[in-house]
Amino acid sequence: MHKAFLIFIFIAVTSFANEPISPIPLKNDVNIDKAKLGKELFFDTILSKDNSTACVSCHDVFSGGADKKIVSTGFANKKGNIQSPTVFNAKYNFKQFWNGRADNLLEQADGPMKNPVEHNMDAATIEKRMNTSLHYMKKFKDIYGSSHITYPLVLEAIVEFENALTTPNAKFDKFLRNEIQLSKEELEGYVIFKQYGCVTCHNGINIGGNSFQKIGTFLEYKSTNNYPDRSEITKNPMHKNVFKVPTLRNIALTAPYFHDGSAKTLKQALKSMSQHNLGMELTEKETELLILFLDTLTGEKPKILDEK
Amino acid sequence: MKLGRLLSFVLIVGITSSVAIVYFYFIQREFSQNHREFLLSINKLENTQNRLTYLILQSSVYAYHNQDEIADTINSFTLEFNHLQNSNILKDDSYAQIKNELMQLEQMLTAYLQDIENYLMLNAEIKNSIVFLTRHVDNASFLQKEDKDIYIKANQILKQFHDAKRMQDLDYLQKSSFLLDLTSNNNETKKFIHNFNNHSDYLTQKYPLFVTITKKVLNNDIRMTIHHTRKTFSYISINDFKALDIFASILFSVFIFALLIIVTLFLKYIKENKNLLKTKESLEYSLKYDILTNLGNRNALETELKSLGDPYILVINIDGFKHINDIYGNGIGNRLLQELANLISAKVMHVRHAKAYRLGGDEFGILFHDTPRQKVLSFAHSLIEEISQKDFMIQTLELHLLVSVVSNNTFPILENADLALKLLKKDHAKRFLEYKESLNLKKSVQENLDTVEKIKNAIANDRIVPFYQPIINLQTLKIEKYEALVRLKLQDGTFLAPYKFLETSKKTPYYREITTIMVEKVLKELKEHPSLRFSINMSMIDILDEEIVNMLLKKLKDNAPTSSRLDIELLESENLQNISKVQNFIEEVKKFGCKILIDDFGSGYSNFSYFSDLNVDMVKIDGSIVNEITTNERKLHMLTSMYQFSQGMGMQSIAEFVETKETALLLRELGVEYGQGYYCGKPLEKPLESDEIII
Repeated sequence: MHKAFLIFIFIAVTSFANEPISPIPLKNDVNIDKAKLGKELFFDTILSKDNSTACVSCHDVFSGGADKKIVSTGFANKKGNIQSPTVFNAKYNFKQFWNGRADNLLEQADGPMKNPVEHNMDAATIEKRMNTSLHYMKKFKDIYGSSHITYPLVLEAIVEFENALTTPNAKFDKFLRNEIQLSKEELEGYVIFKQYGCVTCHNGINIGGNSFQKIGTFLEYKSTNNYPDRSEITKNPMHKNVFKVPTLRNIALTAPYFHDGSAKTLKQALKSMSQHNLGMELTEKETELLILFLDTLTGEKPKILDEK
Repeated sequence: MKLGRLLSFVLIVGITSSVAIVYFYFIQREFSQNHREFLLSINKLENTQNRLTYLILQSSVYAYHNQDEIADTINSFTLEFNHLQNSNILKDDSYAQIKNELMQLEQMLTAYLQDIENYLMLNAEIKNSIVFLTRHVDNASFLQKEDKDIYIKANQILKQFHDAKRMQDLDYLQKSSFLLDLTSNNNETKKFIHNFNNHSDYLTQKYPLFVTITKKVLNNDIRMTIHHTRKTFSYISINDFKALDIFASILFSVFIFALLIIVTLFLKYIKENKNLLKTKESLEYSLKYDILTNLGNRNALETELKSLGDPYILVINIDGFKHINDIYGNGIGNRLLQELANLISAKVMHVRHAKAYRLGGDEFGILFHDTPRQKVLSFAHSLIEEISQKDFMIQTLELHLLVSVVSNNTFPILENADLALKLLKKDHAKRFLEYKESLNLKKSVQENLDTVEKIKNAIANDRIVPFYQPIINLQTLKIEKYEALVRLKLQDGTFLAPYKFLETSKKTPYYREITTIMVEKVLKELKEHPSLRFSINMSMIDILDEEIVNMLLKKLKDNAPTSSRLDIELLESENLQNISKVQNFIEEVKKFGCKILIDDFGSGYSNFSYFSDLNVDMVKIDGSIVNEITTNERKLHMLTSMYQFSQGMGMQSIAEFVETKETALLLRELGVEYGQGYYCGKPLEKPLESDEIII
């Protein structure tokens, strides 16, 4: 029995190794108390200057963890400058933000807090506000041992919640684990995904999120606006229109697509991508098959969302 | 004092070195830890870079490839570098060079990571285009029928792209055109050519950049720089290790030094303790035992006596042991004592309830208890016999001993035995004496004590007085001289004759005082009698006492010219060793006009040889001869001879003990110059007023 299990593990592991995509781990170590506290904070508008905006305002964790609007609305109804990416599985991204300016979630979380068009806050104000809330003071005391709430602790709790926001057991993951078979069409879609070179950039655990790439490598992509791209960080003109390759997990739920939200549907996004980055036209059939494949990437809703 | 200072010095050195060792331990631990961490960190950085290179190569080989690991490795590369830069050891100024090198490395790394980012982007683009072209050609099998040339050409171009990618050589791309000619009229073919050329054109544009960046990513100085930094670090840190080494050596030396002192002190302490113990033991031993003979000593005997109910003692004294020491030396004497001790203890060994002791120089004791008198006495006699028979062989000498033995069982045991021994010693013929109360020995002791008390009192109360006995010129029958004789006046007014106290006084310091008083008083009296001469008595032993001689000479000097009429009567004595001292004395006193008389000539130790050595003026013929001249022919002859001898020597004679008229007349007839005795006049408190004497 034990041996059989080991053999199963061996087969599973070697079979992933051949695929450029790996499933989301079923085991996700998070401190559930911190995560729940983080969840509360994630939903609380207390963290924005005018009590209008919470993290969840732009990262709708009840749909795809992203914003359905092209750009999000934050403090004083101001609009952001980029399409809000999903927080789901964000922990598996190698960098955070579209242009990768944050190395990890903790750095990332600091960004929107201080962004004048998002939460428009500063550490001191947050601490001042938090330390007047008996509710939070008690919770922090229970979890962190001190009723004095500091800004880094607030961020840490939020990050811990975000760490819990993984969407395992997508149909495709189960397929990778040899638990189920994909339908013929889905499998055909996956083969196209690999053969046509989508997988060159969209690979790894997050099917993306592990490299930078230019949007419009083959055919130049003309943005309507000036978006903060990679060149803002590297100051390299070659990095114009370079962004972090976004994850394709839960892609069916996170429209609109691209940094500028220009693609309203998956079909549009596929058309755009194949032209600009692959230098080819997809047939109707191919598009259909690819969409069927992409649909298998939708995972389970994070359990933490059902936690009280 | 010195030891105390040494101890506190050692204590300070010890504490200081201990503290220093603890301090050193922490310093050294922190340094080693930091040193290790830095090396570990730099190793990790190197490994990460190697891993990165490997992954990059891997990514270039595979058409598609999971990039998660590359992303992770890049992230951990950055983290590891930050970790390295923040190493604790770099806080030390001596590692400033490392810091500089790391700063340079940081710039290189930033560029390197940028290059990797660019490489990965380009790699993806180029791979995708090649994948596209491959698939594009695969799918265009329709060309084989109509546009076979295009098909072949497309395949050739594709092959060249593959080669160029594999070989990373731009020359492959410069040789020929990679575009297909638009020669076909077939719409499908046209579309094929259009798409093919799009990608072919794209690839030829991107290839140069890709080759450059690939080379940049794979051939960089980062490895060498890290290696160099590590070398520099080792070089600098070796100095720190050296310093630590030296510090440790010094500490260790100090510690060993302190330890050595402590060990030395400890050894010294043990040695001294041993010596003390030895001294204590030997002291305890000598408290109870005689070192020479290993017998118990007098102390031990006295202790033993206290615990015994029925003691019986024998005290054994060697006769004339002093002579043995004088003749053969103390070495032989001591050996003899040991032999005797052996003999005694061997003999005692066979007797129950008996133990031998050495009581003093030549005195041994045997203590019996619960032993009948008869047994003790027979033991004593047997011992005396055995000793007298024994040939004591000391080296080559054969010596014989005689011992005197006393026995006693009357308390106080030792004192009584000593008294008995003294008595026994007076009789050379007797070898053994048993103490008895009837010996009355204790009385004489009491008498001595009384006499000393009397002398003390008399001196204090000016009751030492001279008596004067006339000396008559037998021819003129006139008193010419007086002999001053010492008397001790008792409180009741009676007088003690010299034989009652003078001998005792000689063993006390009072003797000198008595002599001084006599000289003073006689000189004072002499002053009042200018026509008389007085004489005082001195023994030859007195003359050896410098204090007495000096006193006399001073008095003679102070009382000149009266002192010229004071004569000295010298009493001969046994063992006069230093005759020159006597000669000197005679010369000194003669300078004052004193005359020298020899007292009691013809008795005791009379020795004619004196007369050749000493400048004597007169001879006093002993009374034992004088008082029998009228009845004993022999004595008369002796006296006649002595008188003639004196005359021949130019000396005058004084006959003592002239007690009858007959004697006086006979002496006068014989021609003897002077007479003294009861017939001539008894000793008086003061000389007579008249010098006439009626015979």
